Amino acid sequence: MTIGLRLFISSATFAIGIALAYWFTSREIVGTFMLGFMAFALGFVATYMIVAEREANLIGDEREATIEDGAGELVGTYTIRSPLPLAAAAAVTAIGIGIVVSPTIAILALLATIAIGGLFIVQSR
Amino acid sequence: MSAAAPAFVEAPPRNDLLGWLTTTDHKRIGILYLMTSLGYFGVAGLLSLAIRTQLARPNNTFVTPHEYAQLFTLHGTAMIFLFVAPFALGLANFLIPLQIGAADMAFPRLNATSYWMFLFGGLVIFLGAATNEGAAASGWSAYPPLSEIKISTGLGQDLWIVGVFLVSVATILTSINFVTTVFIYRAPGMTMWRIPIFTWEMVATSLLVFMAFPSLAATLLLLFVDRHLGGHAFDPAYGGSPVLWQHLFWFFGHPEVYVMILPYFGVISEIIPVFSRKPIFGYTGLVLAAFAIAGLSMGVWAHHMFTTGFVNNPFFSFVSFLIAVPTGVKFFNWIATMWRGSISFETPMLFAIGFLLNFLIGGITGVMISSPPIDYQAHDSYFVVAHFHYVLGGGSLFAIFAALFFWWPKMFGRKLDESLGRWCFALLFVGFNVTFLPMHAMGILGMPRRVDSYAASGPLPALNLIATCGSYVMLAGVLLFVYNAVVTARAGRPVSNDPWGANSLEWWTSSPPPEHNFDSLPPIRSERPVYDAR
Ligand SMILES: [Cu+2]
Repeated sequence: MTIGLRLFISSATFAIGIALAYWFTSREIVGTFMLGFMAFALGFVATYMIVAEREANLIGDEREATIEDGAGELVGTYTIRSPLPLAAAAAVTAIGIGIVVSPTIAILALLATIAIGGLFIVQSR
Repeated sequence: MSAAAPAFVEAPPRNDLLGWLTTTDHKRIGILYLMTSLGYFGVAGLLSLAIRTQLARPNNTFVTPHEYAQLFTLHGTAMIFLFVAPFALGLANFLIPLQIGAADMAFPRLNATSYWMFLFGGLVIFLGAATNEGAAASGWSAYPPLSEIKISTGLGQDLWIVGVFLVSVATILTSINFVTTVFIYRAPGMTMWRIPIFTWEMVATSLLVFMAFPSLAATLLLLFVDRHLGGHAFDPAYGGSPVLWQHLFWFFGHPEVYVMILPYFGVISEIIPVFSRKPIFGYTGLVLAAFAIAGLSMGVWAHHMFTTGFVNNPFFSFVSFLIAVPTGVKFFNWIATMWRGSISFETPMLFAIGFLLNFLIGGITGVMISSPPIDYQAHDSYFVVAHFHYVLGGGSLFAIFAALFFWWPKMFGRKLDESLGRWCFALLFVGFNVTFLPMHAMGILGMPRRVDSYAASGPLPALNLIATCGSYVMLAGVLLFVYNAVVTARAGRPVSNDPWGANSLEWWTSSPPPEHNFDSLPPIRSERPVYDAR
């Protein structure tokens, strides 16, 4: 079991513990709900990791691995530059300002955000 | 000679404006984050000088009461959401891939998107100042009914909600990036128990962000619904409750304090061993303490609500006291690291020691106000203002300057000037304590926070004047830092890979590092691979 997984399992366990402790000492619904939801979310991540990580075998986890052992391993795409992040952030900001100032701007910005999101997927191919 | 084809051909780096606008390089994003947050720090600092100028004399008319409310709202919002927390994100962006021997972050484009959302979110918050009724004026914690439409009628409060929402989403996205990068992209041999303490602290910080920030985002949405879509979540006339806001806000707000301090515990844990010429004392203990603090900090939110009468004071008091234990463990580990080391007092170490001294005071007053009987007296007074400025100003801010002096040569290939740096430290340390130490007394004397004047008789005028003088000494210190940066950019000599004789992998590569980070890596057999290879 990787340390990352252990981290999420122990956090979820802790969250359940503190949620129970809080409920039985305070009988207060808002805090109990928040702590319970936190436990659920952490548990969800932990469960996902258990499913996804069954086959995981990271070179970074091997104590005796040498740098050469990692050579040639494909660890992902190395994006050097992209205009999309700036455009996406600008569009999302425009949604926010639009909601406050003018619904038309918000709708146009929403369409722009969806289009930019599509470009992200296209660029990833 | 064999002609092996390279795996990929690196595009030549673009150093023009377009190169920075489109960059997905974690180092550039980190530097953008750092510089942007320092810019917001400059604005928030000027706002605080306006506050201190108003408070220099009782019944002063430097600003109107409504302007004063905008000043402290923007000051708090900017320092917390736009400076202390995102500075750590910038530092982590620059350092995490370097410290674990990776080429970049797991999601470079998401990383860049987060940065731009943070930049724009901050601008949206300040945009409020340009509207008719001015910027948000309900404090950084935006309590209803103050923040509701009946009282905060202007656009400023709406823009504040949008801006803080954007910043909080950006923070969540960046944290996902950090955790994924650390879990997946470590170099061969860089096991989790060998990653530098700073990287560990950022994992703990990210975990806190996952747990706390969704609550903030949801709360902001509720407030927006209340203001414009006929909601009554926080309106007792329709069965809502202002205390609900306090629960939801502080469920985020207290962990946020640790989002603003854990990264700087990491900075201190990196700097002290280097200038003590010893390995860090109690590596595992420091890591476990970080997670203990992160976990416990999720169970203390209502210590901000002791005086509401609606919360279980003993529960929250007890858990708040408990946090002092892992924090104390860290403190002892730092002192034990220095113990019998051959300590040298370069500027980063001076700031680290300043951090320890100031943070100790902030920590002790924190334990004091964890006790409800004391908090009933101190609540909403300058005692609390003094307490959290000792944690975030004397603590985090000093660690920020320590980090700037320590990693500046790695980022820009030039060391900052040492003697200017010592003066900068002296001015900031003296200025800080002259500003904030008297605030403990003001608070005990009953001066409430967020008020633009105070009694003209008694000791308050003298104490306030001293504090105002201190704030201008701090300004001199900050200006000296800016001067230092400008001068050394022009005249500084290029530095080697490892100018301090440090331990972690970022010091293995060139200063500044190439776009792909590493041309080679040493064998990684401990948490100090660069030391091992020396
Ligand atoms: Cu708190």
